[in-house]
Parts: sequence; structure tokens; C-alpha cells
Amino acid sequence: MIQTGESERAGTTDAGERPVAIEARGLRKAYGQLQAVRGVDITVRRGEVFCLLGPNGAGKTSVVEILEGYRTASGGEARVLGIPVGGSTAASRELRERVGIVLQSCGVQPDLTVAELVEMYGRYHRHPRPVDEVLALVELEAKRGERAGELSGGQRRRLDLALALVGDPELIFLDEPTTGFDPAARRQAWSAIRSLCELGKTIFLTTHFMDEAQYLGDRVAVMRAGEIIAEGTPDELGGRDRRPAEIRFTLPENLTLEDVPEVPSEQRTLDAGHVLVHTSQPVEAAHQITGWALERGIALGSFQIAQPTLEDIYLELTRGDGDEPASQSHTAPEEISA
Amino acid sequence: MSVHTETRSGLARDLGLVAWQIRYEQRSYWRNRGRGLFTFVFPLMFLVIFASLDSSAHIKSLGGISYDDFLVPGILAYAVITTTFVNLAISTAILRDEGVLKRMQGTPLPRWAYVAARIGSCALVMAAITVVVVLAGILFWGLSLRLEALPAIVVSLLLGTAAFTTLGIGILRFVKNADTAPVIVNLFVLPLTFISNIWFPTNTLPKTLRSIASAFPIKPLASSLQYAFDPRHHGAAFDWGSLRTLLIWAVVGTFLMVRFLRRPLGDDVP
Repeated sequence: MIQTGESERAGTTDAGERPVAIEARGLRKAYGQLQAVRGVDITVRRGEVFCLLGPNGAGKTSVVEILEGYRTASGGEARVLGIPVGGSTAASRELRERVGIVLQSCGVQPDLTVAELVEMYGRYHRHPRPVDEVLALVELEAKRGERAGELSGGQRRRLDLALALVGDPELIFLDEPTTGFDPAARRQAWSAIRSLCELGKTIFLTTHFMDEAQYLGDRVAVMRAGEIIAEGTPDELGGRDRRPAEIRFTLPENLTLEDVPEVPSEQRTLDAGHVLVHTSQPVEAAHQITGWALERGIALGSFQIAQPTLEDIYLELTRGDGDEPASQSHTAPEEISA
Repeated sequence: MSVHTETRSGLARDLGLVAWQIRYEQRSYWRNRGRGLFTFVFPLMFLVIFASLDSSAHIKSLGGISYDDFLVPGILAYAVITTTFVNLAISTAILRDEGVLKRMQGTPLPRWAYVAARIGSCALVMAAITVVVVLAGILFWGLSLRLEALPAIVVSLLLGTAAFTTLGIGILRFVKNADTAPVIVNLFVLPLTFISNIWFPTNTLPKTLRSIASAFPIKPLASSLQYAFDPRHHGAAFDWGSLRTLLIWAVVGTFLMVRFLRRPLGDDVP
């Protein structure tokens, strides 16, 4: 669970702890017989990027939409920026004044231009940001006169972000913000999200992409079947930092595994010419192997050392929850060195 | 006292938001060329077609009123219904399907303010088509607009707009998606227009059909407009019976609309 201590109260936290932006306790949501959310606790601190991961059907959207005020919880309670969700009309309006929402697939008025839409949505807020500033932030200045209905998918997504930012929110919900982006557009979106963090915004992100969670997330929680099953920083999730690393390389044809020197390792295998060494001491092991290879003048092919990726951990955690294979992530192994 | 002042200034701000939103809705509406065209072309086309069929006739069952004096207010009623009820129900169903309503719900704009702006925008379109149809009627079909009857015309149009806009939103509770919206809407409108004094007089129809037509709001709107535009009437020419039916439908429509708006969007889907 995400709860880290009993003493946490909004605004009054231990030295160095930032105030709480989102706090949910025992959140439940049932749709008839289906228990979609079964008691979720979440604490998100101000200025933090919090990533909620999980396969489709795990209950992510239900949790996010309860926090956004779109759905009512069947049980438990949640406060967002200190305001109870699902409260009075005045309270929810105050909340929407301070929260920006980027939904997964939500249309806009197609016959209005980009600049008109940003201006229009800005008017709903007491203190909107200037239109030009918002357009610059999402790099849509060149499209300001274009009708929303004529934008490409990536431009539409950036317009979504612009409309969520125009009210200068303290907290932003991003539901799969880069789904359908090409790699360059994803990098752009990431840098836009990073720049929001630098402005001190709190970000609640759901995503399918592990590299996105790795790159953007301060903290990651994994949902499965309505519960949070793991939580931590992207580097620590599921004990990732304590897992053995993998050293991989190929041997010349005339050599076998026996020729490779003994190095500190948990396991060594040879599979179709590929040597795989699991080790908790990757630096020392790699040093010995490369030293041996240099000394003998042996060419080791495709040499790499990798820590288990966030995706490896994620797949392990969500295994058996087979609604959708999580393999749509484009994660490349994180190489320590090559 | 300060609380009171704050609420008032909050309301003033919200009304300002409604005014702004009406401007955006209008811009959106007229920028869509197809929609702008249909708004004007359809009623005028029907006016030309039906008037050319039987222009010189007089209607015995309606006390000898000329067909043109009957037809122009009838077409006006039809135009009001399409620009309010039909337009609002279909376009809002599309906005709901596209997720625009959901997006609007995530903003601080109060839901009532957004709906008020959409209704206000419809009313402006209704006013525009009214001017066009009445002008065309005066210029080409000898329609007479008596100054004393103006209040009766305005009241008819306002009550009609109130009834048909609120019903247009309220019916969405029974409309699943944007594909079925035109079907359901026209299922009500089209058959009713044939028994509601829109295209031709319906006084000689069987009593059951006439009673059905009188219970729904289309015939009362047409009748009250025909009554006020009838050149043989003098004075204010209020058709109180029809206006009362329209008022009842405006109340029913408001009730249905509020019920639709109270329900959170998408809470019943996982």
C-alpha cells in the first residue's frame, strides 16, 4: 500500500515531507456484482509525479475518475487538494478550478480553432493563463488558427494538455497522455510534462508504457484486480534495485561456458552461443570477464549489462491477469554500459 | 451581508460566462456550413413547395383563411421545432458521444451555465429563422404582421422555444447514442407534423388524431402562431388554450432536462 506513515496529515508532515495533494483511504467501487476497486489507499504529495500502472480492467480508470469527480465511490473516502471528492456543488467547482484533467479520449468542439478553444476553456477559470503562453508550452503556436477537427492525433493530444493547463491548475490528471504518439511526439510530451513538474505542479499519471513511468514517475503504483499490489520509486519497485543484474554476451564458436572464468554470480547459462550471467555484483563480474577477454584477445559479441527493467518487474507483478498483454510497451533494456 | 454580496457577484460572473459561452456556441454553429444552410434552406424550401401546390386556395374548415396565411406560420412553427428540439437533441447526443460533455463537466463552468448557453444559442438561431420566414412570408406570400398581435407571436415563440429546447435536452435520457438520436427525434416530430396543422389543415382528420395532436406541443405552437398571424383577427389574438399546453410542456421539458442533468455522466460503466 502507498500509505507510508500514520502521522501524515495534509500540510503538517515530517521535516522535508511535502504537503499531501491526494489522499484516498479504502476506496471502493462496485458496478453491480463487479468489484472494480477493492480498497485502495493512495497518498500523493505536492510536486510529485505519481504513476498508476496496471493492465486494462485493473480498476485504474475507476480510481482516477473517482478522484477527478466523474464517478462516485461505493466506499472509502478521498481528498484532493484537501477537498473531499463527491462533495457539494460549490466544493467540486472549487476543485475543478484547481485541477486540470486530460482524459483518454475526449472530443472538443470541432468547429472552433485551437486559440479559440484555449481562450474559451480559460474563461471558465478565475485566473486563466494567457493563451499564447499555453500554446507555447504545448508547442501549438503554429496551429493556433486551425480548427480542432482538422488537427492530427498528436496535435489533438497536445490541445488536450493545453485545455487542462489553461486554468493554471495545481494538480493535473493525465490518463494515458501519449497513447498513439510517435516516438518524437512522445519525447515532446514528456518534456512538456517535465516542465510542468518544474513549475511545481503535482501530476497523477496513468500509463501503459513502462519507459514513460520510468522517465516521468517519482513514484509508481501497480494495480491488479482492483488492488494496489506494489508501490515504490521506479528504481525500487518490487525490489528491482536488489535484483541480480544480467550480463550477456556471445562467445566465439570455439569456446564454451567452461572457458569463461569463475565470477561472482548466482547463475550462468549458455543458450545458442549467448552467455547469460545473473549476478548481484555486476561491476566486479563484468570487470573479470572483460579482463579475461582482453588478456586472451577474445572478441565478445553484443556485450551488455542490464538491471531488470521496470517492465520485467511489472510483467512479473501482473502475471496471470491476462486481459491484455502488457507487451505493447516499447521499453528497451536499460543498459548500464555496453 | 458579505456572504450575500459574494453570492451575487458569483452569479453575475456566471451570467457573464453564459453570455460568453453563447458567443462560442454561435461561432461554432454558423461555422459549420452544412448546419447553417440546413437551418434556412429546409423551411424555405418547404414553404416554396407547399405554397406552389395550393396557393390560391381558401380553407373552409378554418373559416375561409387563405392557404398562405395558414402555411407561413405553420412553416415557422416547423422551423422553430427543427432549430430547437431536433437540433439540440441531435447535436447534444453527438457532444455526449464525443466526450465533449464529459470534458465540460471537468471544468469549473457550472453545468446549468453550459446548458443555458446552449439553449440561449438555440434561441438566437430560432430568432434568425423567424425573421427570415416572416420576411419571406410578407414579401412573397402576402403575410400580414399586425402590431397588436406581436406580443402574442413573441409569447408563442418564447413558450415554444422553452418547451422544445428543454425537451430536446430531456429526451437524451432515452437516447442511447448519436446514431439513434435522429431516428428517435424524427419518430416524434415527423408523424406529428402531419396531424398538427403544419403542412396542411388537419381539422377534418378523425377526432382521435386531432386529440393526440393537441396533447403534444407541435400543434399548439402552430395554432397559436396561425391565430396571431390571421389577418381576420383583431387585437392581441392570444390563443390561450394552445399557449397553456405549451406552458405545460415547458414544465415537463424542464423536469426531464433537470433529471437528465442530475445524473452523472458515465457512472454506470466500469
